[in-house]
Amino acid sequence: MKDREIDEILKQAAASGHEVDPAVLDRVAASIGSALRPVRPLPPAWVLEGGLILICAVVALVGAARLGFFGIEKLSGLERGLIFSTLGILVWLAATGFVNEMIPGRRRCVAPGTLLGVASVALIAVFAVVFRDYRTERFVSLGMACLIAGLLHAIPTGLASWWLLRRGFAVDSVAAGLAGGILAGLAGVTMLELHCANFEALHVMLWHTAVIPVSGAAGALLAWVARFRPGFWRPRALRS
Amino acid sequence: MSETPADGAAIAPVDGVREAGNRQVRNVPAVGSDSNLEMLMCLYQQGDFRAATTLIHRLSPQLHRFFMVQFASRPDADDLLQETWLRIHAARHTYRAGEPVLPWFYAIARHIRVDHYRRSRRTVAREQGLGEMPEIAAPAPTAGSGGAHDLEALLAPLPESQREVVEMLKIAGMSLEEVARATSSSVGSVKQKAHRAYEKLRERLSGMGFGKGSTGGLP
Repeated sequence: MKDREIDEILKQAAASGHEVDPAVLDRVAASIGSALRPVRPLPPAWVLEGGLILICAVVALVGAARLGFFGIEKLSGLERGLIFSTLGILVWLAATGFVNEMIPGRRRCVAPGTLLGVASVALIAVFAVVFRDYRTERFVSLGMACLIAGLLHAIPTGLASWWLLRRGFAVDSVAAGLAGGILAGLAGVTMLELHCANFEALHVMLWHTAVIPVSGAAGALLAWVARFRPGFWRPRALRS
Repeated sequence: MSETPADGAAIAPVDGVREAGNRQVRNVPAVGSDSNLEMLMCLYQQGDFRAATTLIHRLSPQLHRFFMVQFASRPDADDLLQETWLRIHAARHTYRAGEPVLPWFYAIARHIRVDHYRRSRRTVAREQGLGEMPEIAAPAPTAGSGGAHDLEALLAPLPESQREVVEMLKIAGMSLEEVARATSSSVGSVKQKAHRAYEKLRERLSGMGFGKGSTGGLP
């Protein structure tokens, strides 16, 4: 049996018109008509993406300015280029992914789960190339300090990003939360690379990179919780 | 195209009655192409009630069928359709002119269906403790049954993800790219699901004696 024949059978099966109870349509029209007013469409996706990238850059720069630019000062030009170009690409991907998750019917370039893996692996690979000092001094205490500092900078990024996209509509709220969390985590990592002068390879590879999955998981968890409390996450316009 | 004026005058009713008092419109205008839908959507965003009503009448049958194909009962499909339109109404500002319209509608409809599925699964899980439910077989396709019923029966053996892809591709007439957008997946994944669905349908239809000279509708 050929595909064309299956097409034909499907077409025949679907050919007879599918009627909807007119009363249902009238009810829908009446309920929509009673609350119909002009709305302002969302800005173009590139504006929202640009806004998200700007938020990440501002949070990372302000955070590093407050704590000191010790890390970037110690890096060579090549190392700076490698690390920050990778972070730039990942932030752009995460911003695009977050915007796509908040607008129904947008093309999804990379699924948030895949992006999490790609971002983590890419950063570990870059850090492995750049940092060759495999000693570990005060591995956990210094590591936890960096992880917490990164997460503390992810929080304002996540909040500001959510505010920017508050008029969006997430068809998959957990995926949107994950994408937002990844973006926020990348802002935290960027701040750490600007600030942290601890160039032990394992420290950077583990504790700096860990900000992304932890932040992503927090975003997804918040979105999952919000699914059961609709008013918590959804924009005011969608609250019933 | 004749339906360009922004005041909505071009979305002229083919037949029907306008009840101006309560703003109820029962018109099914001659719209079909994506550009018409796009224009109607833009007018709807501008607060044009006629455009909104036209969209409701134009798209509701296929959205309703989308829910029916996913094994929703007719009352459930009615509820889901109403919920979908309320959600569409609340999220209408997220549509941007120039973007394909159908993926936007179907992405929201799909979201409502998934929500409904989760809710019903939780309800079923709570109710199962009261006793064993008898297994109910999917209804066998019968000669002369309605189109939507035939379609449901035909797509019954397919997993949900394949069923929705076939429905969007072959019944709603969306392109691979549009289905990928509506389902938040890649074109490759949609192609793969469609291919697998066709393999299953081929097996099923061959088993039913199709492809051996039969030309009629479903058995």
